[in-house]
Amino acid sequence: MRYVFVDIFIDLLRSIWLPACLVLLWLYASSGSTSIYFPPLADIVATLVGEIVHGDLVRHLLLSLSNLAVGMAFAIVFGVACGLVIGRAETWRRIWSPTLNFLRAVPPAAIVPIIIIALGVGAAPKIFVIALGSFWPILLNTIDGVRGTSTALIETARAYRIPSFLFIFRVALPAALPQIMAGIRVALAVGLVLMVISEFFGAEAGIGFYITDASTRFAIQETWAGTLLVGAMGYVLSSLFLQLERRLLFWYFQEDGQAATKRKGRRNKVGGGQ
Amino acid sequence: MNIMTPVKPPMPARAKSLSVEGLSKSYCNINVLSDLNLRVEPGEVISIVGPSGAGKTTLLRCLSGLMPPTSGGVKVGDEQVREPVAEIGLVFQDYRGSMLPWMRAVENVAFPLQGKGVPKAERLARAHACLADVGLPGVGERYPWQMSGGMQQRVAIARAIAYDAHILLMDEPFGSLDAQTRFDLEDLVLSLRKQLAISIVVVTHDIDEAVYLADRVIVLSGHPATVIDNVDIELGANRDQITTKADPRFAQYRSRILEQIRRPPAA
Repeated sequence: MRYVFVDIFIDLLRSIWLPACLVLLWLYASSGSTSIYFPPLADIVATLVGEIVHGDLVRHLLLSLSNLAVGMAFAIVFGVACGLVIGRAETWRRIWSPTLNFLRAVPPAAIVPIIIIALGVGAAPKIFVIALGSFWPILLNTIDGVRGTSTALIETARAYRIPSFLFIFRVALPAALPQIMAGIRVALAVGLVLMVISEFFGAEAGIGFYITDASTRFAIQETWAGTLLVGAMGYVLSSLFLQLERRLLFWYFQEDGQAATKRKGRRNKVGGGQ
Repeated sequence: MNIMTPVKPPMPARAKSLSVEGLSKSYCNINVLSDLNLRVEPGEVISIVGPSGAGKTTLLRCLSGLMPPTSGGVKVGDEQVREPVAEIGLVFQDYRGSMLPWMRAVENVAFPLQGKGVPKAERLARAHACLADVGLPGVGERYPWQMSGGMQQRVAIARAIAYDAHILLMDEPFGSLDAQTRFDLEDLVLSLRKQLAISIVVVTHDIDEAVYLADRVIVLSGHPATVIDNVDIELGANRDQITTKADPRFAQYRSRILEQIRRPPAA
């Protein structure tokens, strides 16, 4: 067991040395800065800590994160459910494919203003924006994953007369899970961006509001502090998600470790133009 | 499961025959199988051999109901097979591909029973018992990818038995295993047929295997494939990898079949 901790520690060192160097470089390069736009990093961090301890930065952050959580939950439920249906039925897929490909090409940030105007202030429009933006990568990856279920598995299920509901939940869904998780990972990044942007308009709270509010008040250090916090948040969330993914897909990564059973690699539908 | 009577009947009453009547199959106007007729009696073990590309796998897929024939039909008992039926258990050549990697061995075996509506405790108990029957006691908690090829194929056989199939269809089941493992699994098949009195149809390209396992070997050949020979194998019920294969009759069967397969197709 002792060696496990040593391994984790070495892993940590290996992944952290470059970011650590960059932070040190920033710290050093900015230390004598007199520019009001690029204050010394030390001052930003001091402001950040002060705001967290004394101000209500944490309240803003938690509010934003709860929007993100609810929005992502909607996106996952609807994305996976629709993906399972569309992915299994060839005709449905053919009907929907052009529409879906158009809709996913619309930059999610572009629809934020119209939704805020239409749905007004409060949490609902922000959740809606996050859910909508995160929905596409999850949906498209689920469709792809379901379609990629191996013929051997499908035939085995047919030969043993597995009923459809059981097939969907115990065969198609797990088989598509590596692709679905890849989709959720992309969706998480999209959702994080939308979480911040959606609070630029018609908001009175949230981390996005905190950043814009600080910048309009010309409180540069606060603006920087909020930005850094969002960045750190994004990093933490994606690291946690990666852990979850490893755990949930243990069979996938195990199997992948065996040379003989290389399956087709996971592709992200989003990001790569076709 | 079954109520055991003091005197074990030679054959369970439920056993049904598998019969093929005038079966033809063509893909895109190419005839693969033409007017095939054969019958597998309850409790019988038959092997189907033929040169590669003769349509053995196509025949097995038609037998299992996975593929509809172009004409003619397949019957289990008196019932026409149109879709996979509950009486047939299938063992695929691609054992890796036919196992669900996210389920433990015991869950893989129990999964088809869930589809049949068997309660959880009962299906797990049955799965564990069937794993023991195929020589895998105590490994039910492993995942398929933690097992060797031979073990995975044993799990596949356990799955077919747990499913309570009375006809076992095996498509080149041991083709990708090493010789020693293949012998072990052949002996497993022989012992299961004695214990369970099930019918078994093995498709194989290995003539030794075909003769060793079967009561009857069916030789397929030609384009489109037809049954060109039907060899009764009279080697008794107790067979052994060494003595049976050294039996002069074994050699005779072997060369008779080999000759048929290598004979150039009649013009």
